[in-house]
Amino acid sequence: MQVFRLCLKILKKQIPSMLIYIIIFLAIALIMSSATANEQQQDNSFTRAKSNMALISEENTPLIDGFKQELGKVANFVELPDDHEALQDALYFRSVSYILRVPEGFTESFMQGENVQLEKTIVPNSISNTYIDLCIDQYFNTARLYVQQMENISQESLVQYLKSDLAVGASVELKTVSDQSVNHNYANYYFNYLSYSLLSVLILGMAALMLVFYDSELKRRNACSPLSSKSVNLQFILAILVFTVLSCLIMVTFCILFNFKNSLNLNTVYFIINSFVFAVCGAGISFLIGNLVKSHNAIPAISNVVTLGLCFISGVFVPLELLGNTAIKIASFTPTYWFVKANNQIAELTQFGFADVEPIFSSMLIQIGFALAFFAAALVVNKKRRFD
Amino acid sequence: MFAHIFIYRLKCLLRDKETIFWTLLFPLLLAVFFNIAFANLNKGEIFKAIDIAIVDDVNYQSNQYFKTALNEASQGDDRLFNLTVASKEKADQLLINNSISGYIVVENPINLVVNRSGLNPNIIKSFIDNYMQTVSSVNSILLADPAKQQELLSSLGNRQQYIKEISGTAAEPNNILNYFYTLIAMACFYGGFLGMREITDIQADISPLAARINVAPVHKLKTIISSMSASLLIHLTEMLLLLIFLRFVLQVDFGSKIGFVILTTVIGSIAGVTFGALISALVKKSEGIKVAILIGVTMFGSFLAGMMYQNMKYIVAQKIPVLSYLNPVNLLTDAFYCLYYYDTFSRYALNMGILSIFIVIFCVGTYSIIRRRKYASL
Repeated sequence: MQVFRLCLKILKKQIPSMLIYIIIFLAIALIMSSATANEQQQDNSFTRAKSNMALISEENTPLIDGFKQELGKVANFVELPDDHEALQDALYFRSVSYILRVPEGFTESFMQGENVQLEKTIVPNSISNTYIDLCIDQYFNTARLYVQQMENISQESLVQYLKSDLAVGASVELKTVSDQSVNHNYANYYFNYLSYSLLSVLILGMAALMLVFYDSELKRRNACSPLSSKSVNLQFILAILVFTVLSCLIMVTFCILFNFKNSLNLNTVYFIINSFVFAVCGAGISFLIGNLVKSHNAIPAISNVVTLGLCFISGVFVPLELLGNTAIKIASFTPTYWFVKANNQIAELTQFGFADVEPIFSSMLIQIGFALAFFAAALVVNKKRRFD
Repeated sequence: MFAHIFIYRLKCLLRDKETIFWTLLFPLLLAVFFNIAFANLNKGEIFKAIDIAIVDDVNYQSNQYFKTALNEASQGDDRLFNLTVASKEKADQLLINNSISGYIVVENPINLVVNRSGLNPNIIKSFIDNYMQTVSSVNSILLADPAKQQELLSSLGNRQQYIKEISGTAAEPNNILNYFYTLIAMACFYGGFLGMREITDIQADISPLAARINVAPVHKLKTIISSMSASLLIHLTEMLLLLIFLRFVLQVDFGSKIGFVILTTVIGSIAGVTFGALISALVKKSEGIKVAILIGVTMFGSFLAGMMYQNMKYIVAQKIPVLSYLNPVNLLTDAFYCLYYYDTFSRYALNMGILSIFIVIFCVGTYSIIRRRKYASL
């Protein structure tokens, strides 16, 4: 087993630089876990996240008071001074995501049936802001009905009517199929990010191995050793396999450690299977890259371009739903896309019948297809290189 | 002597393909990746109609108003729902398969059955709530004056907008910009590759070239200043290229204060180059480790500044505010964003001030490590 041991020795030398990727990854994973912890708590019951908002009213009327009470159902009020810079700061640091200004004379014009508007300044693309918008819209549209239909209605009675109208609502039944308290957000993030660090580590290690083995002088020396090339190749493959499985195993273990209470279910098993499938694919990519690089210095460059590029266009860093159509089309030609897609599907799984897991297995099959393609390409390159 | 060292350093560095890759090509490539990935982010969220089901029973068939309202919401190109009319068992099955976000049972009050909390169930609930609230208003108005029915129905239809959006600052808030700003900050700190080489080529115990340079009767400070100037010149040129690429090819908006944007880039570039020098002087290990540390620290800083996940910046600012001031990548990103977003300069000045302190620390730290070294043997 000389070749096998040599491989492990070479890989051992790479441990410090690989460790950096793993440590960064684990740090990111820990931060993500604390960031998603809040979301998890909210998700267990049927609730709307209340967002923080500031209401700056230039007038004080019964209508606005009633409105404020109604708004309190969907938002928490934060007191802010009516000062341009303070408001800018508050939006910038997200201490409020919505600032609503009631201009002076609003109530009077409104009660006369004129079309008046409130002014909002918001943090863009915040979903919880939509609820505030809906709430404001509903309140004043309902009020409009009364103002139009009941002549000379007083503000006080209008507020009373609105209060009883807006109190009604649909009842919601939360039907949980199985153990829904388990939340897979964290595992989903973790495994998606795993594709970045796993690929980086595999490429670093593999490229280092190949550089040694394909150095022409060393290769000539090895060729005259009494070991059959079959045995050399088998040991080499074995070493690659051990390295791949080990790297994957280390990262997966940390996920289970970080997230133990959410890990004891079938979803985790699927996550793990998926990541091992991806690891095989990653081995293929790094084998190909290893066959292509010519110098030590090029390894980190190639590794970063490949991993960051793959991760950005295939939904690791930017969620798939937010990617443009062009990006998704390009991404579907990368294995990372299918890995991420399978992860997202696994996170949604509540039932494990064949029909439920079928799309996941097809994503995995596509990854295996990619792996075969990469290995084949690597062998072709390898053959060419042998004759150089 | 200055001109001599400066010119030869320039030639040397320009021929170092690896460094040029990291400091110029890599940020450009990332910018292109960003552009592909975020192309959709600013066009507003694309709303996809929600799949729901309604349980087909006597109550539903007899409630004409709700039926009409629901059908109206499920028609047209900008419809809210994709509606399936189904039996209760079928609806249950659809919900379990996740083929629908929820189903509605017409009872009193109307019941919504969902299998999770989230955006889609909330939108369905809002729809039903609005319907029920409007029904309630209509009932109370008709109770007061039954003659109003016709008039009421016509005024129900024309809902009005009661909110208008006004911008808080000179600039529109923009979600994508922060990603590009972190990218510039990262590129500034990748200037560390140049600073790293400077130290490698000047410390006699690291490379033979450095040993030769040390023999020359030139003051160390003079050597390092001249060669660092060459590094800075190269890096600044690269950063300007990056800015031009971002501004004119990818159309990234930097606001109107172009002069300050360039000033920020210059200071960022100095910070980056000196940062690399400090790492190289501090870490007495192989080139590979140094590069890994430089990339690692910069990437982690960029992550905290929001390069991979934008909200990270705000999470850090809220939970561990100190960290956002101790992370030079974040300071730089923030400075760019301030220039774009704020009318005033107070926040920008604070960022730049702290960054300048970092530069002083990097310079003094590096010089105190490399000065007056004597070697018994090499």
